Amino acid sequence: MSVTASPKLAVPRRRWPAPVVWVVVAVFLVVHVLAWQATEFSPAALIAGWEGMADFLAESLPPDFSVLGKSLEAAVITLYIGLLGTTFSIPFALALALLASRATTSAAWAQQAARAVLSFLRSVPDVVFALIFVTAVGLGPFAGVLALVFHNTGVMGKLWAEAMDESDRGPRDAVKVTGASGPQIALHAVLPTVMPSLAGLLLYRLDVNVRSSLVLGLAGAGGIGFLINQSIKLFRFDEMVTHILVVLLLVVVVDQASGFVRKRLGA
Amino acid sequence: MLAIRGLRKSFGGRTVLDGFDLSVEPGEFVALLGPNGSGKSTVLRCVVGLETPDGGEVEVGGNAAMVFQKIHLVGRRNALDNVCSGALGRLPLHRSFFFPQDVREEAMGCLERVGLVDRALDRCARLSGGQQQRVAIARALCQRANVILADEPVSALDPQAAVQVMELLKALAGDGMAVVAVLHQPELARTYADRVVEMKATVAA
Repeated sequence: MSVTASPKLAVPRRRWPAPVVWVVVAVFLVVHVLAWQATEFSPAALIAGWEGMADFLAESLPPDFSVLGKSLEAAVITLYIGLLGTTFSIPFALALALLASRATTSAAWAQQAARAVLSFLRSVPDVVFALIFVTAVGLGPFAGVLALVFHNTGVMGKLWAEAMDESDRGPRDAVKVTGASGPQIALHAVLPTVMPSLAGLLLYRLDVNVRSSLVLGLAGAGGIGFLINQSIKLFRFDEMVTHILVVLLLVVVVDQASGFVRKRLGA
Repeated sequence: MLAIRGLRKSFGGRTVLDGFDLSVEPGEFVALLGPNGSGKSTVLRCVVGLETPDGGEVEVGGNAAMVFQKIHLVGRRNALDNVCSGALGRLPLHRSFFFPQDVREEAMGCLERVGLVDRALDRCARLSGGQQQRVAIARALCQRANVILADEPVSALDPQAAVQVMELLKALAGDGMAVVAVLHQPELARTYADRVVEMKATVAA
């Protein structure tokens, strides 16, 4: 059966969007036109230049698998850069997250200071950190590890602080009533509650950092990114494709492994 | 053991408590009854310091512990660790990373008192509601409390578990503790409490 309004009931009139909505839409469109022009966005150029891409593909296929051994070795270095960059940032990220979270720190000035440090570390891209550290320790994987430690401390510290902020207030109150101090509340109410989330975020960051270390390699931090850069400079696109296939494998393996563990953690 | 005089508290202009008095002797079990918003929970929260009263005096002869309606254990930790956390107030930070052996022994004694020694190593999230509330009471015991404030301790429990928890609280009062419980069930209050205090809703501003 269907329900119909009795004819005496006045149906509310459809409402047009408020003028402010039109203004927002107009601004949105104008910004996109400006962006289109500034980026020289041109589908025509892409179509006209298809031969260039075809040549590139023709040169890169079939892949040159003679470099596979070298490629795999370098991929392991890339993995190691991502791994150390993640694990060595744990103590710094944890300390800053504990200071930055409302759940664990009551002094507003300490929260603000920790948040400022995290924002700074987060807003400097890892590639920029890498370029800075290259001047100190020279080209190579070590500069990449240092860059990731700094940038990842910023990102992971913020993610962890947010996870702590969202933790249930109840156990915190209950432990506070026993007379526990701030650090004791963090240790025995907040951290045990959020541990699965923290571990899940850690694995997610490992995944991201392994991919970042690839880009750092392009900037001279060694690993497989460095080999890709070299192949391009030497116009050995067939070698490059081998490296890229290895990268694909690496990324899929790390992604699947971290996804599997995160699922088991329920995070 | 517990003396509250002229307690006043308002939240954002709404007066919840306006000169509340209560005194509880050792060994006495007092039930607080009253409609939602009459300030029953606020009284308890002011006593343990989770709220700061606007005025009045709270005197606790010893150590006040609190038991919550939502229990508030750390569900991922086992019962023993949760009970040990009651001792945090007397442990210096450097001894509180891992609970010392003497605290673990004392906590086992507290679990024995609530009849859950055999569940000591079970994660709290795997215990039933009634068992969880008894673990929370054991945590209060591990705090060496002589005043137990229970905020609707049985509202989330089935009738059988509720009776177990009420009998436990009654028995603790029998041991000489002062027990104050906010209840929503007048029949439980009449059955178990030595004294029932009815609170009226303050006029909403």
